Amino acid sequence: MIGFSDITKWIHDSLSSALSPGWVLASEFVLAGIAVILIVVVLVVVMIYMERKVAGFMQLRLGPHRVGPWGTMQVFADVFKLLLKESFAPNSVDKFLFNLAPILVLAVSFMALAPISWAPGLQLWDMNIGILYITAVSSIGVIGILMAGWSSNNKYSLLGAMRSGAQIVSYELSAGLSIVAVIAMCGSLSVHDIIMSQADGWWIFKGHLPILFAFIVYVIAGTAEVNRAPFDLAEAESELTAGYHTEYSGMQFGMFYLTEYINMVVIAMIGSTVFLGGWMPFHIYGFDAFNGVMDYIPSFVWFFGKIFMIIFFMMWFRWTFPRLRIDQLLKLEWKYLLPLSIVNVVIVAFITVMKWHF
Amino acid sequence: MKSLFQYLKEVFLGFYSLWTGLKLTLYYFTHPRKEIITEQYPENRTTTINIPERFAGEVILPHDENNKHKCTACTLCEMACPNGSIKIISVQEESEDGKKKRVLDKWIYNLGMCTFCGQCIDACPQDAIIMKNSFELSVYNRNDLVKTLNKPGSKLKEKE
Amino acid sequence: MSASAIMFYIVGALVLTFGILTVFTRKIFRAAVYLLLSLIGIAGIYILMDMQFVAALQIVIYVGGIVVLIIFSIFLTHSAGERLPSRLPKHLFWAVFLAATGLLLSAHVIYQFNYVASTIAPIEHSVKNIGEQLIDFRKYGYVFPFEVVSILLLSAMIGSIVIAMKTKKQ
Ligand code: SF4
Ligand code: SF4
Repeated sequence: MIGFSDITKWIHDSLSSALSPGWVLASEFVLAGIAVILIVVVLVVVMIYMERKVAGFMQLRLGPHRVGPWGTMQVFADVFKLLLKESFAPNSVDKFLFNLAPILVLAVSFMALAPISWAPGLQLWDMNIGILYITAVSSIGVIGILMAGWSSNNKYSLLGAMRSGAQIVSYELSAGLSIVAVIAMCGSLSVHDIIMSQADGWWIFKGHLPILFAFIVYVIAGTAEVNRAPFDLAEAESELTAGYHTEYSGMQFGMFYLTEYINMVVIAMIGSTVFLGGWMPFHIYGFDAFNGVMDYIPSFVWFFGKIFMIIFFMMWFRWTFPRLRIDQLLKLEWKYLLPLSIVNVVIVAFITVMKWHF
Repeated sequence: MKSLFQYLKEVFLGFYSLWTGLKLTLYYFTHPRKEIITEQYPENRTTTINIPERFAGEVILPHDENNKHKCTACTLCEMACPNGSIKIISVQEESEDGKKKRVLDKWIYNLGMCTFCGQCIDACPQDAIIMKNSFELSVYNRNDLVKTLNKPGSKLKEKE
Repeated sequence: MSASAIMFYIVGALVLTFGILTVFTRKIFRAAVYLLLSLIGIAGIYILMDMQFVAALQIVIYVGGIVVLIIFSIFLTHSAGERLPSRLPKHLFWAVFLAATGLLLSAHVIYQFNYVASTIAPIEHSVKNIGEQLIDFRKYGYVFPFEVVSILLLSAMIGSIVIAMKTKKQ
């Protein structure tokens, strides 16, 4: 079977035979960038369609079903509309920051994709601090939101941005702590090492109840970090029209929309990498025949299957729960999630020291 | 200790109540054929369309098979209507034993001004008028919106 | 000049430019944003030096924490959108004087110091090593500063609780 590492090696070899080493590196950067952007855009298109269909079915509706077969062309029609619209900036906005904000949030969410391992041998940058890098970089995104809200010169935008800032800054803590639980057990921050440590079973099964609890906390905090319902106070359309992107139109709005979905992908990717083994097939320690059968399913099917499972969870939450109030939101984080995850980390540390995990 | 127990109980109850909601939406999601209630309107208007019985469409004055209605021309509905879309025209009529009585001549209903609020229905002491579930009410001529609801020659139904 | 040297000069120039813009802009929110960009540039320099861990911490702490707090406090002051008034000549004089003194002092120190190439073998700076070094009590261990800093943080936390606490009316 041809692995992805063979393909990348083949590309590298054929480029090296034609170009000098510096140009090889440069062209590989460009190729990798284009590949990531393409994959992500395809993922986002699938997700937008999925979101609409899931929302429809859960609310006893049909979802889009007129444009193209089963409404599959609806997303393309919407993107086309956004591309044709004027990117309008109102008169008294701070033009520089107003135009910078959507670019910043989009760039940041793409940057977070760098250390993701897509399949065996398919990883852009295997840093020794992979997971920490992702959490660090995604915390820049909140600045873009604050920037958009402030520069729009609009009460709704400012309120939305402040809510969003408070929310992201506080939920980052419990998301981080729940990842720390797994990091403590596996002893490395590198994405590759974390995946390889799950070759004999995913952490969510190997790590007993504390890791399961950490996974639940992670999904809750992750949903909050991407500002999705039930934590969508930042854009609460019934109170703040659209929060921090009220004043944006055309493709600038499109960038915020795209960012929301890319952030969802990133959250789902970290979740599946850390808790569900990334591209690692479902293995049980000792059952070699079973593991062999599982290996026949290609690794990217596993990876995208896990991603879409987490994304489905997030959509399920969005279309089930009502929006939280700001005080309930902060209470949930500071009175429930954070203390419980700190206790959880202590328990995990104890288990790790006693070597009770598998 | 007791407060810690209370705290953990809150957490578990919270999860339980969230799960209740999630179960319902998951059921809807997995049973699309059974549960989806969207009407594909223009295509199915002659076939499978299902408008609920209590949908508030236009106001009508039902007549029974003897061409009799229940309206006593008391004009309470006219006064209740916030938009002035009802006009009750009544005439004095003398019965055989010489008693004078007001009876309905024309029950005029201006559909174009009606907001389907249903206050006329609530106001009517005789339950003479109801709202039908018809909804395709547009016409080409504005005058067609003003309707006379009582049929020609109709009479007041006597109380049993 | 090697590619990494070119990168260093580009990033360094960006850090300096944004630093200068932070000081000289008249809009306070923009100053915060320029400060942020300059701090990100410093993280870039750490990455050039192959210290990804420090770079990530720089971003987590400064960008994710401190600049967000600064921006929040800017939002809470009113008239944050207006241009600040220009300084009085008296203030300008003292600012220039202090800045120049500081610059001269540090330049003096830097020129006096004669750099010698370090003979100690470079330590492997994986996260694990950094973590162990941080709570090590032997030579080159950092447990004492670590504990001192945690006492500082603890007192700051207690202080904020005391400030936020409601006093019971007798
Ligand atoms: S439904 Fe309301 S608006 Fe229409 S006729 Fe009755 S009272 Fe008037
Ligand atoms: S419809 Fe009812 S309320 Fe109106 S005039 Fe007749 S009896 Fe009175």
